[in-house]
Amino acid sequence: MTALDWAVLGVYLVAIVGFGLWMGRGNQRIDDFFLADRKMRWWAAGLSVMATQISAITFVGTTGQAYTHGMSFLVFYFGLPFAMIVLCMTLVPFFYRARVYTAYQYLEQRFDPRTRTLTSLLFLLSRGMSVGVTLYAPSVVLSVILGWSETSTILLMGGSTIAYVVYGGNKSVMWTDVVQMAIIWLGIFVCVGVAVAQLPEGFGLRDSLAVASLTDHLEIMDTSWDLRKPYTLWSGLIGGLFLAMGYFGCDQSQVQRYLSGRSLTESRLSLLFNAFLKVPMQFLILLTGVLVFVFYHFHAPPLVWNAAEMRKLEAGAPAGELARTRAQFEAAHRARQIAAQRYARERRQEGAETARQSYLTAQRDLAAAQADAARMLQVINQGKPVSDTNYIFPSYVVSKLPGGLAGLVIAVIFAAAMSTLSGEFNSLATASMVDFYQRFVKTSADDAHYLRVSRVFTAFWGVFACGIALQAGRLGSAIEVVNRFGSYFYGSILGVFALAVLTPRATARGAFYGLWAGMTTVFLVSRLTSVAFLWYNVVGAATVFVAGLLVSALQHAGPPSRPSDPRTTAPASA
Amino acid sequence: MKEEQPDDARVPLFRTWPRIYAAVAVSALLVMALLALFARWPY
Repeated sequence: MTALDWAVLGVYLVAIVGFGLWMGRGNQRIDDFFLADRKMRWWAAGLSVMATQISAITFVGTTGQAYTHGMSFLVFYFGLPFAMIVLCMTLVPFFYRARVYTAYQYLEQRFDPRTRTLTSLLFLLSRGMSVGVTLYAPSVVLSVILGWSETSTILLMGGSTIAYVVYGGNKSVMWTDVVQMAIIWLGIFVCVGVAVAQLPEGFGLRDSLAVASLTDHLEIMDTSWDLRKPYTLWSGLIGGLFLAMGYFGCDQSQVQRYLSGRSLTESRLSLLFNAFLKVPMQFLILLTGVLVFVFYHFHAPPLVWNAAEMRKLEAGAPAGELARTRAQFEAAHRARQIAAQRYARERRQEGAETARQSYLTAQRDLAAAQADAARMLQVINQGKPVSDTNYIFPSYVVSKLPGGLAGLVIAVIFAAAMSTLSGEFNSLATASMVDFYQRFVKTSADDAHYLRVSRVFTAFWGVFACGIALQAGRLGSAIEVVNRFGSYFYGSILGVFALAVLTPRATARGAFYGLWAGMTTVFLVSRLTSVAFLWYNVVGAATVFVAGLLVSALQHAGPPSRPSDPRTTAPASA
Repeated sequence: MKEEQPDDARVPLFRTWPRIYAAVAVSALLVMALLALFARWPY
């Protein structure tokens, strides 16, 4: 990184914290602090929804994944536009008319305090733990890339976000999200533009895509019905639909963004805005990864992307074996470059098949050398597997982008991390405050008191996230468990909300026991079968809905549990 | 006391929500079709 890059990164950090503090001034009521006084326009709320979803690890991880495995991950987002439509038709009007601060508050209006408390607690547990991972994952990558300690990156990223969220609440969160999302979009276009501009002379974008398609890097539409495959068209459309409905409809970090809309129309439009833009945006991010893959046909890639792991390999691997692997890697790289150029020239001629075979052989040799290096590293790391994917894109950025642009793209990674963290700190504070403190501890106090307590909760969750992130290196596989924890009950919570809005026959008892049945079923499916994780959301939602209706039907033999409220219950004909 | 905005505030462009939802669904399908074309294009 040049001095200009550091200056760009420094200006971003100072400006975003200053802007967040400035936009967050004047909070006097918890309506201001948690819902930005319900005055946000659709485009601002929509950008905030988008910014909260795209974390730093999404940005660096998906480009890395496109580099190694191609664009098949894109199907993960295929269900999202349809989920937005379903949410606009169902949950959003109910939330909006119920004038709630949290999604779970609505469940008390519709069912009972027990269901509200359980779902809110599940949110606090999963989001509270995963916010530490949201902070830790990019901090580790950036610490290696920038040469800083992990503690420095965690404290810089976490501390600067805490500063403006504690002071300004949701207004700061949403307006900084708007700026951060603009920076992210700018960064995406810069990355695609630079990747295309850096292709060698005589080797155009079409040639790049032709070469990338040889290794199925452009493959998106896998139409197989194999439930074990993580990314097929159907898992993306159906599993992705349920996942997106669960995330955008039942996760407070998202619900709070669109409940800040100045009218129901603005809230709906903010989600539909995402329905339009999310898939194209993710396509561009993945395309960047594919273009970086092609770029490294003409520039020497490192044997191992993580520089810290590479140093370990050089220090700990048998010298002769490492030299052999390196020589094989470099030879395969040269062969692949020649084969790629030949294929680009001859792909519509008779020699195309020979060029294709030479290319695939070289690509296999290259992958074999990398696998050998990974095996050596695993031995050095006493069996711990090595994952290099997240280091590919940041390494490319700091070593190959021209002066100033590297700083901009690193600022984009910071922006992606901070926009997610800020929304999560704010939503965790809201659920703690509204669903627990205001509900059980101090039910009647003035706004000034609640505002003070809300800031304390925000600071608590920020410090908690930093604490988890600082300890994450020592937690090892526990972090992976925490990451998967959320997927066990996203679908199940969605099932509870489906019971709430789709059928007036569902009772509080049905919802409560249905939720437990859903979570248990998903846990068993994840343990006993090899069904891919996107399907857990379908299993959870369906189990809760069916079990909830069964328990409700049994209960209907007796008197109804509570009178229905037209603001919170679907009409009998729905 | 703030005045609540009406739920049925003017629906932009397409006048009714069902039409907007249909437009979003059609555009999502169109994007997928374009992506399929992109993936299978004989470059």
